[in-house]
Amino acid sequence: MLKYIIKRIILMIPVIIIMTLIVFSIFYFAPGDPVSRIAGPNVTPEVYESIMKKYGLDQPFVVQYFRYIKSVVEGDLGVSILQDRPVIEMIRERLPVTLQIGLLGFIITFIIAIPAGVIAAVKKNTIVDYLCMSGSLLGIAIPTFWLGMLLLYVFAYKLRWFPISGYGTIKHLILPSFAIGLTNAAITARMVRSSMLEVLKQDYVRTARSKGLSEKTVVYRHALKNALIPIITLMGLRLGWIIGGSVALEIIFSIPGIGRLMVDAILARDYPVVQGAMIVLTSSIILANILADILYTVVDPRIRYG
Amino acid sequence: MLKRLMVVVLVLTLLSNLLLGCSKKENSEKVLVIGFDRDAEIMDTIKTAWYSDALIYIHDRLITRDYEFGYKPGLAERWDVSEDGLTWTFHLRKGVKFHDGKEFTAEDVKWTIDTIKDPDTGSPFRADLDAIKEVNVIDKHTVEMVLNYPFPNLLYNLSGTAAGIHPANAYKKYGEDYGKKIVIGTGPYKLKEWVPGDRTVLVKNEEYNWGPEWMSNRGPALIDKIVLKIIPDENTRIMELEVGGIHILRNVPETFVEKLENNQDVTVYKEPATKLGYLAYATDKEPFTDVRVRRAINHALNREEIIQFVLKGIGEVAYGYLPPALKDEYLEESKDLAYEYNPEKAKQLLAEAGYPNGLELTLSADNSSKSTKLAEIIQHQLKEVGINTKIQLYDSAGYTDMLREGKQELFIREYSWSNADIIDWFLLSERFPYPNHSRWVDEKTDELITYAARRPTWEERAEAYKEVQRYLIDQAVWAPIYIPMQMIAVRKEVKNFKYHPWMLQYNDGFDIEVK
Repeated sequence: MLKYIIKRIILMIPVIIIMTLIVFSIFYFAPGDPVSRIAGPNVTPEVYESIMKKYGLDQPFVVQYFRYIKSVVEGDLGVSILQDRPVIEMIRERLPVTLQIGLLGFIITFIIAIPAGVIAAVKKNTIVDYLCMSGSLLGIAIPTFWLGMLLLYVFAYKLRWFPISGYGTIKHLILPSFAIGLTNAAITARMVRSSMLEVLKQDYVRTARSKGLSEKTVVYRHALKNALIPIITLMGLRLGWIIGGSVALEIIFSIPGIGRLMVDAILARDYPVVQGAMIVLTSSIILANILADILYTVVDPRIRYG
Repeated sequence: MLKRLMVVVLVLTLLSNLLLGCSKKENSEKVLVIGFDRDAEIMDTIKTAWYSDALIYIHDRLITRDYEFGYKPGLAERWDVSEDGLTWTFHLRKGVKFHDGKEFTAEDVKWTIDTIKDPDTGSPFRADLDAIKEVNVIDKHTVEMVLNYPFPNLLYNLSGTAAGIHPANAYKKYGEDYGKKIVIGTGPYKLKEWVPGDRTVLVKNEEYNWGPEWMSNRGPALIDKIVLKIIPDENTRIMELEVGGIHILRNVPETFVEKLENNQDVTVYKEPATKLGYLAYATDKEPFTDVRVRRAINHALNREEIIQFVLKGIGEVAYGYLPPALKDEYLEESKDLAYEYNPEKAKQLLAEAGYPNGLELTLSADNSSKSTKLAEIIQHQLKEVGINTKIQLYDSAGYTDMLREGKQELFIREYSWSNADIIDWFLLSERFPYPNHSRWVDEKTDELITYAARRPTWEERAEAYKEVQRYLIDQAVWAPIYIPMQMIAVRKEVKNFKYHPWMLQYNDGFDIEVK
């Protein structure tokens, strides 16, 4: 088990290197540079040159890239060109904000998706099943940002139950978390349903029933536990999606999270920030997947890694 | 079971803590909240060109501008200019203190200017102070600036946000934190907290009593706290204003004006902005080398229609190269000299220039919704006279890059600047290829501009800039299109709101009703 985890962590390195190369190439070859943002749109050529030089932006691609990789290996994610602050410090400020929304979104996903999926599976082909599944179809079809705008309009602007923008209290987190949680729950509920249907057909479920156990015990103690295994993989993979979805939400709800940090940095061509944030995000997505693998062995002791 | 119960209790305590934390009512502090679309990257006037509005209130400047846009004393009580225009002597106000308690003296002025002028600082403001040869401290409260050439525009450059006075040796004293966590000025507000991308909190400077003489309140501000809140999404900003989450919103988009004007709680102030929207072209490339083609493009534009379509009718037609808000330098007869809408004449001029069958060109713009709309209607109007265009859109960083590389044919721009020297920026041959994006390299223009910029007095300078404008209009270097309105939405809780054409003076008697 330990050997497996170490192997997976070592495998992260090439993934991250390839990712940095891709991001770096995009930034290098895309038009635009951070200078006009620092010095204003009407910058004179001499100031322009001096700023390009100061940050080594006048160097060829290979030199710039290897200089960057070298500093990353040394544990330094560099300094933001625009804010003149260590990138790691900026990520440390912003990441927890996004994680809070993501975590709350995850909890909402589970609270909605598991009961909905289980009920739909148990009451298969009844009106309850159809209602749950058409609701989930709707959830899949609605983009997260649009749901966010809708929630904002109804609950914050019209009803005024929640603040419209900002960050600081749990009230600020609820609407964006719901926007993430609801769309995510839609997909998860379908997975739970089909996985449950699969499990309910198994022999051990029939055995449990024939033992005379109540239907509730059969469904929740025997069936659900096994049905959750594929859901765990799905959740690991959804982490990246949640962070991607929160970019739009952070703009709509004015939340200073890592998504907005990245968007601002991309528009301003502040590449050390984008690179740093991408490295942190890529690593956390890979780590989440490793965690999902470990959780497997907890849920299903038959699974072993070697 | 016990475990589960514990988790539930834990979560509940956590939640209630968070909820209670936010419901704690602050005592009747007067707080003004202002909405912005984006934040500054560095909180330092010396090191960036994108100033946070907070810096207007943290710092004072030697020279201020009153409600009529005139130049008035600020930290300098008065100043004398030598007859040749080469020596400016500033007599500084006494009894002024920085936020850290230090007394304001001539040394601070010298340090601020010298730091901006030091090439190692990399200040974007450096070129604006090129005229200054040296700054000499005469005594504790007198400072002298010796110029390389007469430069009346120093008035403007010393009154802008970039010219805020810092305490001497601020960088050495505060180190890395200066411009991030700490900023020290002598202004009516002090920096309390800056959370980049989220908010800036300013608290009033209780000791402040050196407000400029044209203010009705020269003492400490009435509002205790100003919060500058960053709300990137346009719709969210408007909603916050409507529910009272923010009190003042600057740069209201034209599309929301009608909605806000129908709102009883909000007043929208409209004044012609010191901005100018124009269509330009690479004047060093065929067919724009021919003045007849440039004039034809000017004749082809129906500017009223453009303003209706793009700005919902909120704006004025631009005839010249400067906005009329620059009263001293604006050329009054621009309207008579400019090219009226006349598609027939445009076609005729094109034929004379050797293009009787029209032209095929690209029209570049940045990808904002306003520019996209503008590009579409210009495309339509040019087509009427036989100029077919293909629209090419860029994101803002890509757009400047494209212009710098000189790939443009026709392109759209809007500038925002409250001084005639914007003409120098865009049209002097030494600014080629950027910011001289219309690639206008012309001896006569250089001569006229240099002559204007170095007049010994402000009045002579203004007259000379009028001559520059006459020549530019004749040459049809650009096709000026519109002057937008500066629109500020203010909620009813704000009392004594006074519009200022440049920087809103929240410390000048502004008050706010506390619910």
